[in-house]
Amino acid sequence: MQRRKAIGGILALTGIGVASFTGIKFFFGNSDRGQLPNYLNLISELVDVIIPPTDTPGAKEAGVEDYVIDFMESCSSTKEYNNFFNGLNDLQETCLSDYNTTFEVCTEEQKIAVLKDLDSSADANSLLTKINNKIRGRSFFNILKSLTVEGYCTSELGATKLLAYAAVPGSYKAITTLKPNQKAWATQ
Amino acid sequence: MKNQTEKNTFDAIVVGSGISGGWAAKELTEGGLKTLVLERGGAIEYATSSKDPWEFKYRTHLTKEELKERPVQSSHCNAGDKQFYVKDSEHPYIQEKPFKWIRGYQVGGRSITWGRQSYRLSDLDFEANKKDGYGVDWPIRYDDIKEWYDYVEEYAGISGSSESIPHLPDGVFLPPIPMNAIEKHLKESINKEYSDRTLINGRVANLTEYKKGRGRCMYRNLCSRGCPFSGYFNSNSTTLLDAYNSGNLTLREHSIVKEVIYDEETKKAIGVKIIDAISKEEITYYAKIIFLNASAIATASILLNSVSKYFPNGLGNSSMQVGHNLMDHVVNEGTYGTYNGLLDKYYEGRSPGTIYVPRFQNLDAKTTNTDFLRGYGLQGKGNRENWESKSTEGFGIELKAQLETPGKWKISLGGRGEVLPNYENKISLDLENRDQWGLPLVKVHFEYGANDLAMMEHMTKTSEEILIKAGFENVRSYRNSPPPGSAVHEMGTVRMGIDPKTSVLNKYNQMHDVKNVFITDGSCMTSSACQNPSLTYMALTARACRYAINQFKSNLL
Repeated sequence: MQRRKAIGGILALTGIGVASFTGIKFFFGNSDRGQLPNYLNLISELVDVIIPPTDTPGAKEAGVEDYVIDFMESCSSTKEYNNFFNGLNDLQETCLSDYNTTFEVCTEEQKIAVLKDLDSSADANSLLTKINNKIRGRSFFNILKSLTVEGYCTSELGATKLLAYAAVPGSYKAITTLKPNQKAWATQ
Repeated sequence: MKNQTEKNTFDAIVVGSGISGGWAAKELTEGGLKTLVLERGGAIEYATSSKDPWEFKYRTHLTKEELKERPVQSSHCNAGDKQFYVKDSEHPYIQEKPFKWIRGYQVGGRSITWGRQSYRLSDLDFEANKKDGYGVDWPIRYDDIKEWYDYVEEYAGISGSSESIPHLPDGVFLPPIPMNAIEKHLKESINKEYSDRTLINGRVANLTEYKKGRGRCMYRNLCSRGCPFSGYFNSNSTTLLDAYNSGNLTLREHSIVKEVIYDEETKKAIGVKIIDAISKEEITYYAKIIFLNASAIATASILLNSVSKYFPNGLGNSSMQVGHNLMDHVVNEGTYGTYNGLLDKYYEGRSPGTIYVPRFQNLDAKTTNTDFLRGYGLQGKGNRENWESKSTEGFGIELKAQLETPGKWKISLGGRGEVLPNYENKISLDLENRDQWGLPLVKVHFEYGANDLAMMEHMTKTSEEILIKAGFENVRSYRNSPPPGSAVHEMGTVRMGIDPKTSVLNKYNQMHDVKNVFITDGSCMTSSACQNPSLTYMALTARACRYAINQFKSNLL
């Protein structure tokens, strides 16, 4: 992490010029969509760290990377597209500087360490984060995690293996007693 | 009446095939009248109704492209049901003040996507205008419509519980959709904490038992995509089907009604002029009876566009009330809370139902509210959090464990309040700006009044208090309010009344000025009450049809 902090320091010293450049890019940037398919392998590895294979399938096996890319390319706001795209590049840069390799070939422990650092750097529930989300869009990690959870829990493997899914319940039992280890319903 | 042939002449014309148009089609055709139903949209198929979540590339989300085409509709639709909502880009209107005009142009109209909540009005509602002086008096009372509520409920299939609440009359009910553990908990708490209010099973048009020719609710809770089991009431699987089976129905799709044609000699309407939505050709159809069921805003705009020497301000508009008195229900964004208990309870199946706290303000001297006139009810739903609503920590194995277990119970509550009729709230036509068919654009001018806003504030406070008293935690409300129109209950633009000088329709939904034109969609409503209105449109339609058929057979029309 040392080199990144150093870069951060340099950026801070160069001051307003850089900051306003970033600002303009945030708000008016004409983001170049269509780039994420080139990051397919990286995104597959990322979603699989967020939801790894255990006795139930992981996000990669469930094809969640495709959903993340499809959503970001076609549904996301420009702000969040930029946050996500820049986040991917920053993450690779971190891996190169800290581990001298790309995220895809980092060890499990290294991958977890990199994401942990991103996770703890943004307290999703703090007021500051909420205000920031409103103005600048959610952070890279927030976007990655929420799309992975959504993509996985609505995938066939996620909905039927980790969770419980009934396409056509047929009846409604309004009050049941929870069975030991009963899984949450995938859909409400 | 040149060009009138047997082919383009019918006994009756119905404009619109949604909830009320479907009923008019059924009643008129079964009454023996050759009936033409004109629908501006096309036929539908239930293309998404049986899809699993993973079959949607973008899950429930709309793409940026789709959002751009639907700046207004997008708040009310998702990837599963967007095909039943118009593209705003193709069907523009002018918002002089923010107003959401949510529309579905297709056979069945908005009966495909409606919320299915079905409540009777009572004399508390029918007498409200007379008592406090807002708007004009309704020309009917509960006794005039009671048997028609019975009739349409029996046919439509309304699940609900009998509660003996004087101002929310019981009806002909199928067994209610039961309450789950948290909903029961809230009911018990309200019974204990309050003497003035109660919580009941929502009354919804979902079949809890089989009905002839239709399936039963399968508890998928995917109603708005259209139901392959015909488990809820909509025009397509019920009224239009019966109309078709009568042998008297002609349904013409892609037919945009431009105007109703008035004949000065007979002082009656003789037909309607349509524009074919695809070929843009103009065609005239003739009939002895015309029912307008295009929905409140569209029906008023058709009348305003039907200009003749005798009616320079629009057909049947000698009162100058057509287009005015637009109402919607006032809604808040909702209140949420979680409950730390009952963790050994769950449910199986997905309820399309709700819970309901009927209006409890301004019923009598004891329940007088000093902040506002009239009142509101609260609708809600309880379930256990799952991945969609749970807030989770971290990632990896730890995250999977959080996702796979059922979360806390939560309940959401939202108010539906009565909006006072106000002449200033209106729709009008912009003759300078026209759509692709050359029709003037509709302008909507609507603002909540002080009474409406006071009610909105109150429903949020009340919801919070109810949940806190029931032991809920993290009770929060969204304070910003959705724009008017969001309840999709627009009504009042062609109101019923006793006096032709101040109202457009008489007590049989017949135009005071033009006796063979009937209007039974939301535009006829003299006041909005706070109940979801579709059931009342159904009952008024069936009642008006009976009257029209009798008049027709006695050669009075």
